[in-house]
Amino acid sequence: MSIQNLNTFDPFADAVGSANEDVQDGLVHIRIQQRNGRKTLTTVQGLSSNYDLKKIVRTCKKEFACNGTVIEHPEYGEVLQLQGDQRENICQFLTKTGLVKQDQLKVHGF
Amino acid sequence: MTEEDAIFDPSLVKKKKKKKTTFDIDAVLAEGDSQETSSPVTVQETDPDNNAADGIDLDNDLDLENFGKKKRKKKKTGFNLDDLDAALPTATDEVVQGESEFVLDDESGAIDDTFDLGMKKKKKKKTEITELLKDNKENEELENVEDNAITWAGSDRDYTYDELLHRVFDIISEKNPDMAAGRKPKFVMRPPQVLRVGTKKTSFANFTEICKTLHRQPKHLLDFLLAELGTSGSVDGNSQLIIKGRFQPKQIENVLRRYIKEYVTCHTCRSPETILQKDTRIFFLQCESCGSRCSVASIKSGFQAVTSKRAAMRAKTA
Ligand SMILES: [Zn+2]
Repeated sequence: MSIQNLNTFDPFADAVGSANEDVQDGLVHIRIQQRNGRKTLTTVQGLSSNYDLKKIVRTCKKEFACNGTVIEHPEYGEVLQLQGDQRENICQFLTKTGLVKQDQLKVHGF
Repeated sequence: MTEEDAIFDPSLVKKKKKKKTTFDIDAVLAEGDSQETSSPVTVQETDPDNNAADGIDLDNDLDLENFGKKKRKKKKTGFNLDDLDAALPTATDEVVQGESEFVLDDESGAIDDTFDLGMKKKKKKKTEITELLKDNKENEELENVEDNAITWAGSDRDYTYDELLHRVFDIISEKNPDMAAGRKPKFVMRPPQVLRVGTKKTSFANFTEICKTLHRQPKHLLDFLLAELGTSGSVDGNSQLIIKGRFQPKQIENVLRRYIKEYVTCHTCRSPETILQKDTRIFFLQCESCGSRCSVASIKSGFQAVTSKRAAMRAKTA
């Protein structure tokens, strides 16, 4: 567990930004998309911009043994993108580290 | 012998000619010799046998070449048919089962239970209800006996738990005859029929039908499905929904259940008799049963990652 690098943030701060932020509904949306074949992609949209997403993605990559990246989107802000179906993993990770509360998570997909 | 030879020569020659293809000439000659020693009648008798043997051999040859192929072909087609036969009944069975069990009743407990496509809980509930009813009947009889014997009145003994329970159920069934009969209004829905189209697309065959049973605009359900599945798709001429990507019936079912939970059943009383209204860009769910009205989440597909080939994208935009 190399979550120590996340401790630089205030763990009590809300994961999702307040109304003035670029996040619309205060929820963290976790989605899955199919790629070609059996491959899938997991996206995490709506994480607070107070967090260093690059650090989060670095930890996730190690933790879930998958590749990932942070994408800057004009409308949705910084979006986490991970290879494969990491919905379970990312949900557990985000709640366990206290980055996001359980009721702020919204998991989409099948 | 000479006469016989004269008689049998042509046949023998014929035989030889025939047999050359399959038999050794020597063997035939040997046979001929043996036949020559015997009477013509027996020879004539053996002849058809030989011919028959030849025929069998020829048949065998055929077997190896043509018939074998036929067999193989038959096997192939046979397997396919079998597969189809095996697949079709089960599929229909499943559908039938699903129909019978894709049931929503008004006042089941958990929200997830209300649209139980998973089926098992419903069965349990049904059996529970029937058991309870049975119990009730038995209890009624028991209580009648008890009442007649006046065990309750007059004595100051404590009621047992069972007695109280039966009493409660009795009163409930007395006051609510509809409920006691176990006939709650039920919402029966066919399960989604999901088929693969080619390798990259999925067909949701009874999409329009399901929209009708849910009393929802196809576009609304379409938007939701595509947003949730993170893909694209459209309704084709046969009113079936073609979705890009491979999806299992179970997966579509899951999404459908979520849709029903959010946009069909009343959030207060879980009745499916609701109307979806649009009021200044926000959808409201108006319940026909309890009159509650609440806003529902708007459908947003949100962030969509680039999954198509980037080179192709670039070619399109450039
Ligand atoms: Zn209601």
